[in-house]
Amino acid sequence: MRDRNIKKNIMYSAIFMFSCFFILVVYITYLQVLKSNALANNPLNMRAFQMEKNIQRGTMLDRTGKKIAFSERIKTGFYHRVYPYADMMAPVSGYLGENIGNAGIEGYANAALSGQNNPWSRFGPIAQLFSSNRGNDVKLTINVDVQKIAYDALGNRKGAIVVINSKTGAIIAMVSRPSFDPNTVEEDWGALIQNQEGLLLNRVSQGLYPPGSTLKPMIADAALKEKVTDQQEIFDCKGFLKINDSYTLHESHNEVHGSVNLREALTVSCNTTFATLAMRLGESNLEKTFKRFGFTKEIDNEIAEASIQLPQFSKLSEGEICQVGIGQSTVLVTPLRMAMLASAFANQGKIMKPYLIDEIISPSGVIIDRSKNEVWLEATTAERANIIRGFMDNVVTNGTGHAAFVKGIDVAGKTGTAENSSGADHAWFIGSAKLPKEDISFAIIIENSGGGGTEAAPIAKELIMNMLKTEEVAS
Amino acid sequence: MFKKNCLLLLPSMAILFLGTAVIELGKYPVINFSLWSYILAIAVGAFCIAGILQRTASDADPYIFPIAMFLGSIGLIMIERLKAALFIPQIHWILIGMTVFFGIVYFTKNIRFLVNYQYLIGLCCLLLLSSTFFIGTEIGGSRNWIVLGPFQVQPSEFAKIFIIVFLSAYLIDHKNVLSLPSNKFLGFRWPPLRFIAPLLLIWGIAVLMFVVQKDLGSALLFFGIAIFMTYMATGNKTYVFMALFFFIISSIISYQLFGHVRVRVAIWLHPWSDPNGMAYQVVQSLFAFGSGGIWGTGFSHGYPGLIPEVHTDFIFSAIAEELGLLGDVPVILVYVLLIYRGIRISLQCKNEMNVLLAAGLSISLALQVFIILAGVTTLLPLTGITLPFISYGGSSMLSSFIILGLLFILSKKENSNA
Repeated sequence: MRDRNIKKNIMYSAIFMFSCFFILVVYITYLQVLKSNALANNPLNMRAFQMEKNIQRGTMLDRTGKKIAFSERIKTGFYHRVYPYADMMAPVSGYLGENIGNAGIEGYANAALSGQNNPWSRFGPIAQLFSSNRGNDVKLTINVDVQKIAYDALGNRKGAIVVINSKTGAIIAMVSRPSFDPNTVEEDWGALIQNQEGLLLNRVSQGLYPPGSTLKPMIADAALKEKVTDQQEIFDCKGFLKINDSYTLHESHNEVHGSVNLREALTVSCNTTFATLAMRLGESNLEKTFKRFGFTKEIDNEIAEASIQLPQFSKLSEGEICQVGIGQSTVLVTPLRMAMLASAFANQGKIMKPYLIDEIISPSGVIIDRSKNEVWLEATTAERANIIRGFMDNVVTNGTGHAAFVKGIDVAGKTGTAENSSGADHAWFIGSAKLPKEDISFAIIIENSGGGGTEAAPIAKELIMNMLKTEEVAS
Repeated sequence: MFKKNCLLLLPSMAILFLGTAVIELGKYPVINFSLWSYILAIAVGAFCIAGILQRTASDADPYIFPIAMFLGSIGLIMIERLKAALFIPQIHWILIGMTVFFGIVYFTKNIRFLVNYQYLIGLCCLLLLSSTFFIGTEIGGSRNWIVLGPFQVQPSEFAKIFIIVFLSAYLIDHKNVLSLPSNKFLGFRWPPLRFIAPLLLIWGIAVLMFVVQKDLGSALLFFGIAIFMTYMATGNKTYVFMALFFFIISSIISYQLFGHVRVRVAIWLHPWSDPNGMAYQVVQSLFAFGSGGIWGTGFSHGYPGLIPEVHTDFIFSAIAEELGLLGDVPVILVYVLLIYRGIRISLQCKNEMNVLLAAGLSISLALQVFIILAGVTTLLPLTGITLPFISYGGSSMLSSFIILGLLFILSKKENSNA
């Protein structure tokens, strides 16, 4: 009998232990099924990074197939990332670092470049069958030659140039200076983040500037749309506009433009006319116009943007409304948004969604993903777009933007000289050009350099002339 | 024709050969021929042992040796994959373990003689454990090692076996006294103090290990073995309550007194509050489980090297990462099968001491596997202890094979009938 008792106790003990194992199996199942993704994708989990070290990261190509970034095996057996164009392409490529994370296309397209976006990547042994030790290539819309032209045209000055295809939204060049060398970004990191020049800032999409007079084509469009004026009305510019007892708006250099219609006002960039139009439009129409041209809408793709700063329209005083009309007040925009504004008038009123990634190509050469051209906004009507475009043509042929005039090429533009808190005025030039091969829109800003007509417009000319040369060479 | 014994060895040998092939082909064109001779030695040794035992002990349990070889093979290929430098040493240990197993089962006909030496065995156990208090060396945060020339021995791995043998003899001898309490105190009937003194001594030792050596895993294991064996022998729940009371009190006291205990508990309760510091190892282990998911990353395609000490205490996390849920649950089931066979052997024994011995050995295996697996999954606080047959380490491998040998002898008819 006693023997029986011992065996019964042993049975109970065994059942207890087996129950413990059952709980253990349930808990492991919970970890590996329900919590699996959360644990695998936890930012502290270094596995993704380790995996990337052992596979050859895909190449970043420009639209002509030139390598912007590629990986090569070094002595240690690991791969090393090379950026042949160093700081020229840094605003586009971004960077990649073990301790500093990643940015730009390296960051946005990380999964594709490291081959981890494959649908079978979470299927263990099966994944190993299909996996390649090479990531996917990413082909960009950038043209290295145009990028180089823009980069050289900017010279050593601080500023940004962006060139987009008006008909597709493809970004052809995106230059920001001063920049950084992504080849040595990890070593230079301490100095880079200390530097006050904003080396890591991609001025094209993250630099916020007052648009100044480059905003006037949009105000002109709004004035025509809301019918607060027409093309025939004559404005009388006395060189100043007394808004009320405490505030008088002056023309720059106290110029007196005399009698001008809308077209002439834009051509000479008449502040009093546009301040008058802004007052006639009122705060709610101004707010609607900014919305119409996409300033309140995010692009939401591979382009990392700083949010556009707009004033609280309902709280604006009369003086401030006038300031908004000439692109000052608290309006802060990015060069990319101004190029998009210019493209609306070059593309029948439509703004195409800007993009950088054209194709994602698997190691075996199969195109996994291809960007579609998307109409982002119908900002204005084709009719009004063509009117404004005509005004902007006149700016280049007869007006403040004459320095951008290129014989035989239809160039439209608008200069801007933006007052700002950081010192001398920023020189702006935005516009579009019908090149033989493609229609381009662009925005150029040179920080603290002075007048847009004298500083920024000549760069547009240089850009267009050199693009024509390379197009000829290519054809 | 292969007999059942040999047939059961085939999966483990397949694992061993294929696993080694996967790793070695990855190193091609470097071919390590000596490695293959070692692998062959294990295979030949395993089949010889199985073949000889089939003949000489045909009535014994045919499953436990192949099960141990299965677990050993998984351990070997994981160690080859995780710490290639430790692969050959681990092969040595498994070969020595197999030899010791064979020696025990071939030359020992009957283990009833152990009863006569119970106090000697108890004394040995005490000596082994106390040795570390005096000449112990701290390795990996626990002072539970003795360094003998080129070898590092973990005496607690062997003391564990002595304590089970001692307890099974002692408890059966004194069962009547122990199970017939005489004094009523605090609502429970307590046996005379001198009979429970050895039990209190073991618990005391466990607490000392806990405190002095910071070896929480072994302490928990010894404590658990003592509770289970006392309960199994006497069926008296007083001991269980007494032990739990004792456990809770000592836990509270050590939590209050010792920083390392508080740290362990804090890591267990809030691993995510310090994921790069104190809880680094546990958090890395959880990442391994998560990254493995259901299918695993595939053998040799994961990154278990991110977990510190992955080849010893955390080897199961590496299995979970590379073989996934579909690979690690079967490993647990194989352990459960081994423990089930052990319990079955125990239930088939006639002699009370043998019954208790087999049950004690099986429960000790179960406890050890559960403590470490619950630790690496954060089901329970982590306590460093090896995974039998799989973790790297000579002491662990040897003691596991000794336990296996004892279970094998107990499964022979002449023992179960005696």
